[in-house]
Amino acid sequence: MSVNEKFSAIRKGLLEFLLLQIIAAEKVYVADILKQLSATEFATQEGTLYPLLSKMRREGLLDYEWKESEAGPPRKYYELTVKGREQLRETLEYWGKINGTVKKLGQK
Amino acid sequence: MNKVITINLEGTAYQLEEGGYDALRAYLETATARLQGNPDRDEILSDIERAIAEKFRALLGSYKTVVVTKEVAAVLAEMGTIEADSAEAGGAGGAGAPSSASGHGTAGEEQAAWRGGTPRRLYRIHEGAMIAGVCNGIAAYTNVDPTLVRIGFVLLTFFGGTGLLFYLVMAFVVPEARSPEEKTAASGAPSTAQEFIRRAKQGYYEAMKDFPDRKARREWKRRFRREMRGWRASFDREMRANADQWRHNWHSYWAEHAPVHPGMVFALPLLSVLHGVATVLWICAVISLLATGTVFGLAPAANVPVWVAALLLFMAYGILTWPLKAARRACYRGFGRPMWAWSFVFLLDAVVWLAIVAALLWLAVHYSPELREAVRSIPSLAHQAADDIRTWWKGM
Repeated sequence: MSVNEKFSAIRKGLLEFLLLQIIAAEKVYVADILKQLSATEFATQEGTLYPLLSKMRREGLLDYEWKESEAGPPRKYYELTVKGREQLRETLEYWGKINGTVKKLGQK
Repeated sequence: MNKVITINLEGTAYQLEEGGYDALRAYLETATARLQGNPDRDEILSDIERAIAEKFRALLGSYKTVVVTKEVAAVLAEMGTIEADSAEAGGAGGAGAPSSASGHGTAGEEQAAWRGGTPRRLYRIHEGAMIAGVCNGIAAYTNVDPTLVRIGFVLLTFFGGTGLLFYLVMAFVVPEARSPEEKTAASGAPSTAQEFIRRAKQGYYEAMKDFPDRKARREWKRRFRREMRGWRASFDREMRANADQWRHNWHSYWAEHAPVHPGMVFALPLLSVLHGVATVLWICAVISLLATGTVFGLAPAANVPVWVAALLLFMAYGILTWPLKAARRACYRGFGRPMWAWSFVFLLDAVVWLAIVAALLWLAVHYSPELREAVRSIPSLAHQAADDIRTWWKGM
């Protein structure tokens, strides 16, 4: 089992965290998110993203507003709610801790 | 040849090849099944449909109206499978996804390019046309006022009927813009005039909304129409006054400057002969061009289609004989003021001229076997030329 495969589950778990981070920076729509992720190890597809985004919205982490696009149907632009920002802050903190632990353990 | 199926994605119709339609339906059915029990199922499905619609739109242009099966498959691959349990959702594509995800960027760019340079095609436009919509189509194509194009054609018609011939050819060859896509393609972007009319109409309806009361609305309508009528009437008046002024100037100019010289009486037949010779030469040149592809041994550039060369000949003829014709007209004036005399001379000259042309042509055909052959082959050549033009047009 390669490292890439081993980390597949972890990547899945982290995707939600990354979405919070991307959406926190600016109002984005799905194609923007895909583009930002495409260059990373977290490259993903619409089929994954839409269900995840709608789950996060259901949990009250983010909200969207419709915006007309210059071509084609209107687009959903996502933004974080107060709860979403709070969650992002907490997650970042927790991530920092995990990171620290990973580095510290095993060192004398 | 493939059957095409029209579908509705988030309010816009798309045409898919049958295979593509099947693939899309299967994809959406799978998605629906996988999202069973998800409280946001309908919303996610409509998100998916919208994303697919946007990708399809990026693939289409005004010539390309059908999404082929391969493209549908590519779009669906780019979308990726719908994750059953959103809690476990994540980078399902993992390392495999980057290429498809970045593919969306290029689709977006294509879309932008398509929006920026809307492809333009020459069509006949029937709305607001005088005859067959040729001038209207050219005007839309070149973004020039249709009236200017019409004036251009009328002027060209004076040059030995070039405009008329050109118009007739275009009327038969150029297709008419029927569908909205074709109409858009005819003008590229909405032309300023169309845009103006659209805005005017919109303004009209917007204003109508402000009159909830029927009586006031009717009154306003009446006023709008009266104003339009008044505007049209004043425009007509002005145009007529202009035309009158112009005609007056023209006549007084000729009254003063008409060269009344007895020498003109002799000059006229000479000019007629010259004109006749020029006409015969021109006809021979056209026939020679059509028959052998050369004009008296001179071949046009290889990439110039024969019919373009013929048109150029037509124009050259018109321009070259213009002074001859003008001189002849001037000669008529030389015969004095009485109108009947003028008409008589004109008629006589026309007969003489026609006789000269006919005689020369008869001689030419009779004594030149090549020319006779060429004249015989005209009907089949015309057919071939029409076919050429048609294929050339389709290939554009």
